[in-house]
Parts: sequence; C-alpha cells; structure tokens
Amino acid sequence: MTKLTDLTIAEARQGLREKSFSARELTEAHLEAIEGANAALNAYVLPTPERALEMADASDARLKRGEGGALEGIPLGIKDLFCTKGFRTTACSHILDGFTPTYESTVTANLWAEGAVMLGKLNNDEFAMGSSNETSVYGPVVNPWRRKGSNAKLVPGGSSGGSSAAVAARLCMGATATDTGGSIRQPAAVTGTVGIKPTYGRCSRWGIVAFASSLDQAGPIARSVEDAAILLGAMASHDPKDTTSVDLPVPDYAASVGQGVKGLTVGIPREYRVPGMAPEIESLWQKGVDWLKAAGAKIKEVSLPHTKYALPSYYIVAPAEASSNLARYDGVRYGLREKGSDVISMYENTRAAGFGAEVKRRILIGTYVLSAGYYDAYYLKAQKVRTLIKRDFDQAFETVDAILTPTTPGPAFALGEKSGDPLEMYLNDIFTVTVNMAGLPGMSVPAGLSSEGTPLGLQLIGKPFDEETLFRVGRVIEQAAGPLTKPQDWWSKAA
Amino acid sequence: MTRVAAMTMKMRKDEVTDGFCAAHILENAPQVDDGYFVVPKIVE
Repeated sequence: MTKLTDLTIAEARQGLREKSFSARELTEAHLEAIEGANAALNAYVLPTPERALEMADASDARLKRGEGGALEGIPLGIKDLFCTKGFRTTACSHILDGFTPTYESTVTANLWAEGAVMLGKLNNDEFAMGSSNETSVYGPVVNPWRRKGSNAKLVPGGSSGGSSAAVAARLCMGATATDTGGSIRQPAAVTGTVGIKPTYGRCSRWGIVAFASSLDQAGPIARSVEDAAILLGAMASHDPKDTTSVDLPVPDYAASVGQGVKGLTVGIPREYRVPGMAPEIESLWQKGVDWLKAAGAKIKEVSLPHTKYALPSYYIVAPAEASSNLARYDGVRYGLREKGSDVISMYENTRAAGFGAEVKRRILIGTYVLSAGYYDAYYLKAQKVRTLIKRDFDQAFETVDAILTPTTPGPAFALGEKSGDPLEMYLNDIFTVTVNMAGLPGMSVPAGLSSEGTPLGLQLIGKPFDEETLFRVGRVIEQAAGPLTKPQDWWSKAA
Repeated sequence: MTRVAAMTMKMRKDEVTDGFCAAHILENAPQVDDGYFVVPKIVE
C-alpha cells in the first residue's frame, strides 16, 4: 500500500470515505513525518500536533456519521502569515514575537469549516519579503530536492518556502500560501509542486498579515492540479470583512480539471523571451507548447509590450504599500517592544530591533517613493505603468484564453548563493510579478527537471476569475509531463 | 488601476457589526493598564 503521506488529497478523501484509514491515522502519519524531518528542513516554525489530533478526531466523528466537508480529515500546513486563533502568528518576523491572534483569518476559517486539519504553521520569508525563504527570523527552509551528486542545501523558493518544502517533502497534503510578486508560483516551481495565485479578490485577505495590499492574494500549494483545485474551492469566498473580495459564486474548480484543452487558444508572449534566458528554460517552454498543441489547443504568439517595466514598477508599488502597512508595528499594541527614554525612541528602538535587513530595505524604498518630492515621479508613475500592464493583458485576452510562460528564470539555487545581491534576488520574480500587477490568476505546474536534476515549472496566466481554464490547461501539462518524481528522502531521521 | 474587474464598492447598513472585545485587543500588548495601552511618558 502507498504510504499515507504519499496520497494526493483526492485519493485521501476517497480513502477516508471508504474507511480504509481514519483521519487520525492520516494525521499521525504526517505528524510523524514532521517530527522526523523538521530538524533538517525547518519547514514548520510551529507544529501544532495536539490541535491536529483534536481536529482529526472531530473529523473521524463526522465521517462516522456520514457527514463531513470537502476537506474532511485532510491535514494541511498553514503559512505563518495567516492568523490562527490561539496559535502564534509572526509572519516570521522578530517584531511579532509571541503574537497570538484572538481571531482566525477568513481563509483558514473556510478550510476548518470544510473539515481540514491544521498540522502547524509554516516558515516564510519575513513578512513574505523574499524569493528564497532566507529572510525568516526562524532561519532558512531547505528544499527537499538536491542537485544530482551534490549535498548542497538548495532554497525552496520564497516567500512561501515552508509551504512548498512541506508539500514536496510529504509533511502535509497541501498548504496555504500567499503571493504578492510570485511567492506561491516561484516556490512551487522550484520544489516540483503546483501553486495557484487566484485572481485578486477571489480569496479574502482578512486576517492575513499585510505586505502590499493591492497585490497580496492567498492560494494553495499542492502536489497535483486537482488537489490545488480542491483547496482553492475551499479557500475562496466572498467576505464582507474584506471590501476587495468579490461577490461572485465560487465555481466547482475540481470539476473543470479534466475538461481538456480542445478548442482553447493559448498565447505565447514574445516579450518573455528575455535575453540570456537559460536554454533549458527555453526548451521546457517549447515542450509545453508542443504538449498543448498535441492535446488540441491552438497556439498563438501574443505581445505584452510593457513587460519590461513590470519589475521596476513592482519594486515601487510593493515597497510603498509595505512601508505604509508596516507602520503599525510600533511596540504599542502587539509584538516586540524595546525600551526607550521617550515614546519616539521606544518606536525607533523597537523597529530597529524588530525588522530584518530586507524588510528595512523595503520600508526605506517605500518611504522614499512616497515622500512629497518623489511621489509623482515614482509612485504615481508606477501606478500608471500598472494600468498599461493590465491593458496589455486585456488586449491579449481578446484572442487567447490563457497564456503560457516559464515560472522562473532557473531552477532552485543554493542557500546563500543570491542573498548577497538584492537585485539578483528580485530578478527571480521577473515572470511572475506582471500577474500580480494586473491582478490576474496565475498557476505554476511542474513540467520537468533541470540539467541539475531539480524541478522546473511552467506558468499559466488566465483572464480575471477564470481559474477554471488554468486548471484545465494545467492538468494537460501535468499529464504530458508525466508523474511527478519524488525528491529522494535524505531528510528524515529514519532515512 | 483600482480593480481587476469592474466592481462597485458595496455599501452596508450603518450599524455596529463588531466590537466590545477590548480584552482581546489588549491581550497581545506589551504593556497595559486598566484597559489602556501604556507608552512612555509623553507630557512632563
């Protein structure tokens, strides 16, 4: 029999319904895996085994009565950006030390309402600022994948690096994640997992620690397109507590997964062929095109002329909003307080001690671009560019149903390899930030292995609120790419 | 750009929907006194 931790969510749901195993057994298998692996991978910053078993027992009771929601008994990991009532939530920042929310984020509340089980809180870059999970105050997460013939520790991507590593290493069946500039799709790509950032407004942001409010969006990371569809269906909702959440019915995403791509037109944006693109990324992209053609889709070249301005304008808009959002951490209402002789020096000491280097950098950039003399030149200009980026996509979507691009410029890099140069790190998001700037849905699907033997992903971009097409196209790529190979287990104490 | 898709801001009735949870709000504060947040002295 397959190990319980290797099952997909779809398979586990069936097994639970057929009473092949109990929710408690399923949860215990995952808790054991976490126990054995966390010292090596550092994916969980707060395992919550007691709560997990309590929730699993409640699921078993419901399943016994023939009741239960869409995720009844399914053990999940929760990114530390989601507020969880009674469980420490820090966004992996020193400044939120010991913060224990007295409320539950809407997304996680939706998951619990469907019967999901919380295994614990997952590591991430501090305040989700990073592309390698190296800025977390709890230390970096290690990618379960390794290069062929090497023991070098690789990054799991970021900011949702705990989520991607935990899903890839079978430490949960799926995980919540958030994506401001690529933080779901980039980690999914470099760990061989599926990650979808839905359309801005599809999931409520209420109770999620804010980074850049006009870009942040929650979504799942899972081990199959179908699992991602099941999870997103449970996470998404209209929420009166978030005025940017949309009042549209949540479609049955899982039903769209098997519908195929016949009759769909998929766009290939010319501007994404960036100079110096790795040949293996280029050939993977071409493979994706061939797979979709073979499955009956039409392929069409499209132009997104403002693509080259996306990354620079993103690094104005995102830090601007971050500097405003992070002003709330002042040592008065929650988290860390460092003493000072007066209230100003208390603020200064608290913020100096509480924020890490990358967060400080972005607060400084954000404060600068919002300052009176530079507001028009930077922030306003970036907002205008953003409208142009959105218009590019609107025009492209007049003739295509979805767009196919690589997710990342390369495979997972080693710890410390890029952390010295922030610009090099920011370039990791080159293919993903445009999607946040335009608010569109984007999904990364594993598509093959690099020459180093580590995973690579392809990104699909969809029309607003048309996640269903992404699941259809994503499933075709997933099938054509073949079953996901598993990373070789080197991390558990038993192995 | 303010919205991905055309959508108007929803209005709700002007009535209290939440609140009366001062204890919860103060629970995570570094220093409180008698239902208030405490900061270093501002006025001499």
